[in-house]
Amino acid sequence: MMSPDTSLAFTLRGVRKAFRYFALDGLDLQLPLGQIMGLVGPNGAGKSTTIRLLMGLIAPEAGVIEVLGQRVPEHAARAKRDVAFVAEDMRLYGAATLAWHMRLVASIFPNWDEVYAQQLLKRFNLHAEQPTRGLSRGEHIKAMLLLALARRPRLLVLDEPTSGLDPVARYELLSELMEIVRDDSRSILFSSHNTLDVERVCDQIAFLDRGRLVDVSDKEAFLERWRRLQLDVPPGVTLPVLADVVEVSSSARLATLTTNNYQPELQATLERAGARVHEVQRMSLEEIFVASVMRSRGEAAS
Amino acid sequence: MSSVFWALVRKDMYVLRVFAMTGVATGLVALGAMLTGKVGFAIGGILYLTAHIAMGIMIGMYGFMSDRKEQTRLFSLSLPISGQHHDLAKLTAAFATYGIPWAILTGAAAMVVLLSGVFPRGFLVYGLLVQGCCLALFSVFVAVLFVAKTEPLAGLAIIVTNILFSLFMMTLAQESISGSMKGPRIVWSDAALTLAACETGLAVLAVVFAISIILRKRDHL
Repeated sequence: MMSPDTSLAFTLRGVRKAFRYFALDGLDLQLPLGQIMGLVGPNGAGKSTTIRLLMGLIAPEAGVIEVLGQRVPEHAARAKRDVAFVAEDMRLYGAATLAWHMRLVASIFPNWDEVYAQQLLKRFNLHAEQPTRGLSRGEHIKAMLLLALARRPRLLVLDEPTSGLDPVARYELLSELMEIVRDDSRSILFSSHNTLDVERVCDQIAFLDRGRLVDVSDKEAFLERWRRLQLDVPPGVTLPVLADVVEVSSSARLATLTTNNYQPELQATLERAGARVHEVQRMSLEEIFVASVMRSRGEAAS
Repeated sequence: MSSVFWALVRKDMYVLRVFAMTGVATGLVALGAMLTGKVGFAIGGILYLTAHIAMGIMIGMYGFMSDRKEQTRLFSLSLPISGQHHDLAKLTAAFATYGIPWAILTGAAAMVVLLSGVFPRGFLVYGLLVQGCCLALFSVFVAVLFVAKTEPLAGLAIIVTNILFSLFMMTLAQESISGSMKGPRIVWSDAALTLAACETGLAVLAVVFAISIILRKRDHL
């Protein structure tokens, strides 16, 4: 039996979980301590399933899950002492006040930081004595985030926390997350289908689609690797088949080539073949995400 | 059990307290009404049984069904407790929230029968059997809620337990069973003892069933 790697916030190896109409299969993912990972995928990609597996809320049919060195789901209770979890569809008890929730969480977590909780209360403009059923969507998320952050977790797991938030609330939430990771012993797993949010806060990015991991890398590497080339292809010239070219689309003499492993030599190779490179464009994370998913779906179909 | 377990039990009892307090208040008012004469007895009796039934349904529906539907369950499962212990805490809290008012009302009903002089003392057996039936059917309802995850199924469980309660009341009303309960002495006839044993057996079976479901479950959402 392998001993747990203490430099990792979590690791999933060969994880499988099947439902009637959906299966997460062969998932391998890990996050080093002190990093923020963005788990990006379209709706139904398996982001929430992955997070629920990590939290021990559902059990895998195969594979190994470790969170902060603890096997999950077997020792999920022990792991959750240092993990805070907030999900978009999670709700607090409507009839109870935020103060009551704070007392409940404080009674369970010895690391509860009351001073920090009071600071967050002010920063988020929340009222502790207000029953939580009166909170707006954004306030509700902030209240749950307060309850999560003030327990000073080593790993913060956020399932679509910015979904449905107005731009100001989203900005506040993301700023708070960036503040947290100044302390580099804390890690965050952040799922979203909003690539702008992920691009803003994450170090590592994992793309998930239809229950499979499409790609995982650190953000800078993603942005460096992916390029779109605008080409002029004269009549009679055929572009060579190149590895790492994800997509080629053409219209008359103009062609657009997308690569997921850009090297400057690619330009020379294309020009040797007779094409002329007009422009090499960087791609946004959203464009990279869409291209990755479409490529993965194409491969699965063939 | 860990401190988190007991914190979750206290949490559920706090969340469900309004149903318990309303149940006790209504039950006590009903007992008072039962002392005021024939009409008062009839109205109080219906109110007393309604208080028990409504309290059981509300505790079950709010404690289990709403918890799932409103996703508050996701919040409590995020705390450092295993899924099994989380559900055992819910089971414990449901029985504590129903059981404490049930015990208060059972005690109050026994005192009324024994001390008021309005009812024959033999009526105590009748009252205790009705109370036992309420507790047994609450156990069945709660056990079913660990399996039935949709509102229609929970509704079906309510209908079935109410039918069982009506059948029980009809059985209890038979002269051969309730005859001795109208006398001045407290008599546990064979029929009464059999009914008490059935109630106990049903409650134990329901709790064992619920615990076995909890311990076998691997997915907790």
